Amino acid sequence: MNKNELDKFIICKKCHTLHRKIKLHKGTKALCQQCNSLLYRDHQNLIENSLALSWVTLIALIIGFSFSIINININGIYQELDLPSLIMVIFDNEYYIVGVMLSFLIFIFPLVIIISMILLLSLMKFKKSGYLVRRLMILIAKILPWSMIDIFFISLLVAMVKLFAYAQLELDTAFWSLIIVILLDIFIFKQISFSDLWDEYRKIYEV
Amino acid sequence: MREKLIRCPICEAVNIDKGGEIYCRRCHEKIYNYKRVSLNRTIAFLITAIILYIPANAYPILITRKFGIIHENTILGGVMHLWETGSYPIAIIILLASVFVPILKFIFIIYLLIATKYSVKSSMIDKHKLFYITEVIGSWSMIDVFVVAILSVLIHFSAVEIIPGEGATAFALMVFFTMLSALSFDTRLIKK
Repeated sequence: MNKNELDKFIICKKCHTLHRKIKLHKGTKALCQQCNSLLYRDHQNLIENSLALSWVTLIALIIGFSFSIINININGIYQELDLPSLIMVIFDNEYYIVGVMLSFLIFIFPLVIIISMILLLSLMKFKKSGYLVRRLMILIAKILPWSMIDIFFISLLVAMVKLFAYAQLELDTAFWSLIIVILLDIFIFKQISFSDLWDEYRKIYEV
Repeated sequence: MREKLIRCPICEAVNIDKGGEIYCRRCHEKIYNYKRVSLNRTIAFLITAIILYIPANAYPILITRKFGIIHENTILGGVMHLWETGSYPIAIIILLASVFVPILKFIFIIYLLIATKYSVKSSMIDKHKLFYITEVIGSWSMIDVFVVAILSVLIHFSAVEIIPGEGATAFALMVFFTMLSALSFDTRLIKK
């Protein structure tokens, strides 16, 4: 079978059913016949849109990492939570394995993913350095399952409910910016499928 | 022809399955190992995770020091305490995320491994869906570790203090190895 012939097919990520690709109308999407999950979409400005959203995510992420997330007040004694201090406390208690894991899962990986996203989209926009774009896309695909900023946010809510009875809680700047990060993360990585980006890559670099 | 086409887990391109090691035609990455290699890897990671699950539950994950009195909580103990104090939704979330999800993952992976050797009555599509669920729910178990870390930062006073217990390390490693086990599973082994 010819190599280009294979590009006419797509396999569903959920149930691995083989589909033949068809050309979509503007703004529509193709769903899997078996399990209704998204296969691919027709994007108007895939690169520009994702690039803009990635910048917003990066800014929100930096704010989320540098300011305090929640303040707690127990009978007049204040304590605040921010991400660097979270990791520091784990290291102070000599839980090095957990500390290293936490710093990678909720700090380094989300940051690396979003920075590589910005880099690769900018390179694609200016049609430069196909090799680097390919490496960055592979890097993102490999570490995406390990980025757990969304799980961290749910843990934050769980911890808040646990503390609700004992203390007064105040939501701070970083809490709101983390919400923005989570929403945009879902939008970027669940809506825009990677096969769309790779198709775009083919169009730009392999003509 | 249908069986011979496989999906690259990195760039989602369709590739022809020639058996053995496969390099993706689009992203040029090695996407599949020899079937035997990935099978052994999955089993090895799974056994490590199951072994780690024992200390993760036996040792305390959370230590509370209240006016000098030390109180240790295991995962199940914490869930029971939450249930008794009336925080039912949180108790259910923690129970699901840190007790049921790991066990479900073990069962799913073991089931998929058995299904590669012996014929099991379920369609290929169902098995692929099961594997997809296993991959997606993997990271949810980390909730408990994160909650402990957050609490230990916030409750850090001279009178009352929360510190993570040894169970947290075992638990975090357990989640890490179950995820590795799922990631190294070769989906080509899934057949009817």
